[in-house]
Amino acid sequence: MAKELLKGKKGIIFGALDENSIAWKTALQAHAEGAEIVLTNAPVALRMGKINELAEKIGAKVIPADATSNEDLEKLITESMEILGGKLDFILHSIGMSPNVRKGKDYGDLNHDWMHKTLDISAMSFHRLLQTAEKLDAMKEWGSILALSYIAAQRTFPDYSDMANAKALLESIARSYGYRFAKKSKVRVNTISQSPTMTTAGTGVTGFDVFFDYADKMSPLGNASGESCADYIIMMFSDYTRMVTMQNLMHDGGFSSSGITEEIVEELTKGK
Amino acid sequence: MSEIAQKVTNIIVDKLGVEESEVKPEASFTNDLGADSLDTVELIMEFEKEFDIQIPDDQAEQIATVGQAISYLEANAK
Ligand SMILES: NC(=O)c1ccc[n+]([C@@H]2O[C@H](COP(=O)([O-])OP(=O)(O)OC[C@H]3O[C@@H](n4cnc5c(N)ncnc54)[C@H](O)[C@@H]3O)[C@@H](O)[C@H]2O)c1
Repeated sequence: MAKELLKGKKGIIFGALDENSIAWKTALQAHAEGAEIVLTNAPVALRMGKINELAEKIGAKVIPADATSNEDLEKLITESMEILGGKLDFILHSIGMSPNVRKGKDYGDLNHDWMHKTLDISAMSFHRLLQTAEKLDAMKEWGSILALSYIAAQRTFPDYSDMANAKALLESIARSYGYRFAKKSKVRVNTISQSPTMTTAGTGVTGFDVFFDYADKMSPLGNASGESCADYIIMMFSDYTRMVTMQNLMHDGGFSSSGITEEIVEELTKGK
Repeated sequence: MSEIAQKVTNIIVDKLGVEESEVKPEASFTNDLGADSLDTVELIMEFEKEFDIQIPDDQAEQIATVGQAISYLEANAK
């Protein structure tokens, strides 16, 4: 689909762990559209994952940064501007992690130290990133900053546990900071609320397969894939969406507006 | 318990959220202590930080139990 929509644009992509990661697919797509990118992930992810494979493919530098560390973020943004030769046009925050979800903790039996980690890694990190970018005056006018969210921010999905709370906070930060950044330098800040997607973070949720199938049946277009999410992100980084800011954008094949679908009726009629 | 063994135990208790009594030498990180693949890498990196050493990946892969971690660190820590 390469149309050079991002020709001459520079940016940072967080969160590419392996080829299933939404960030990985976005990096490939952004590169194909002409963008210059710096990749980043947590040190432990660099050790575990295959980010260097991706970096080679798209000729990008990799800078380790723990998204919960202001110091790491400062270093990342400063070095990225040096590498890319100027201010940034886009940043993708594609970071999520809950120790409580990973360990299958019941919502009524959460470890609150872990809940702090969930909120810090999955939501407050977005504020840290925005604040650091503002302080370092790192964004170009009409730049675009995005984070990935999930509809559990608005509706209850029991197994999503404290990640639901983190996503609600994440979306709220996008609105609050979006106001500030728009006033200050016409930078837009949004979240994309994506369908369930088969990735490391996604499949860590208990019963994810059923969850995935249910959402697929409840969405008139079916679940949005990681690739189509990457396409949407590219559009949001492009100059065609300049007036979109402070929004939580549903990218879910119609899930969020569907009450019931024929597929679900069929499923529930079985055996009656 | 040696000083190293105690430090290792503390790290495991903190990282994996298990009781100290479960952290026995024969306990496997993944089978007995509920570690996932991310936890095991994080543990190795915590050990590296605490004991100021580098554990090469091929050796890290050999560390699957509490006892193996302790003996590796007793042999290699500065
Ligand atoms: N997979 C889904 O079903 C789904 C649905 C909606 C939204 N999302 C969101 O999309 C985003 C990307 O997730 P994904 O599905 O591609 O999974 P993924 O597991 O590939 O990506 C999650 C990333 O977060 C990174 N991360 C964790 N802790 C970090 C830290 N302290 N500092 C920096 N990075 C850290 C991981 O290294 C990993 O690269 C997340 O925000 C996730 O919640 C996912």
